[in-house]
Amino acid sequence: MEIEIISFGKIAEFIPQQRINVGGIRDTNGLKQHLEATFPMLAEIKYKLALNKHMIHENLSIGDNDTLAIMPPFSGG
Amino acid sequence: MSDRKVKNIFVQGPIQPAFIADSIAKHSTKTDIGGHSIFMGQVRKDKIDGKLVSAIEYTTFEALALDKMHEIREAIFEKYPVNCLHVYHSLGTVQSGEICLFVFTSSAHRKPAIDACSELVERIKAELPIWGKEIFEDDTHQWKVNS
Repeated sequence: MEIEIISFGKIAEFIPQQRINVGGIRDTNGLKQHLEATFPMLAEIKYKLALNKHMIHENLSIGDNDTLAIMPPFSGG
Repeated sequence: MSDRKVKNIFVQGPIQPAFIADSIAKHSTKTDIGGHSIFMGQVRKDKIDGKLVSAIEYTTFEALALDKMHEIREAIFEKYPVNCLHVYHSLGTVQSGEICLFVFTSSAHRKPAIDACSELVERIKAELPIWGKEIFEDDTHQWKVNS
């Protein structure tokens, strides 16, 4: 299964936009662990995730061609 | 469920003072309004580790930001008797001294307009997926942290 990763702010500096093959991972908790293992810098900072343009507040199943956004703390205004 | 549409709040570059004056002028026909409250965010020339901020470059996760802003707008209309509210936020580069955020609320009486404007500014800064990259005079940068 493949998903699209998009990132913002300082996270975009070390995780460029890309498609990744998630293998047997089926939910967002599994995806978080995979991302932190692949990009160790991610484990050091606070971030939020959005799946297909909806903020994630709990573990959700992921589907083929979903888009996951990785967002550092907001700093608008 | 209101029939208010999702509005675009983003403006490329700084928000011009003339635009703000124009927005005020456009409300003079709305004769049930008795008070307006306006907040403007300006890029401050902060000094960080001896370096001066010359500009902030704003980026956003636009689809999520517009949906979230719509949600906030609906909540404010529900909570306060405001006649209208307008929010504009810059994207791209805004130099120090220029305006990057414009929040404008109007109501029959002053208290709801003032309170709604205040709450809107706090919610925008906390909840909208927008990021500011502080660019220093030497072209290095750091990522803005909201307090």
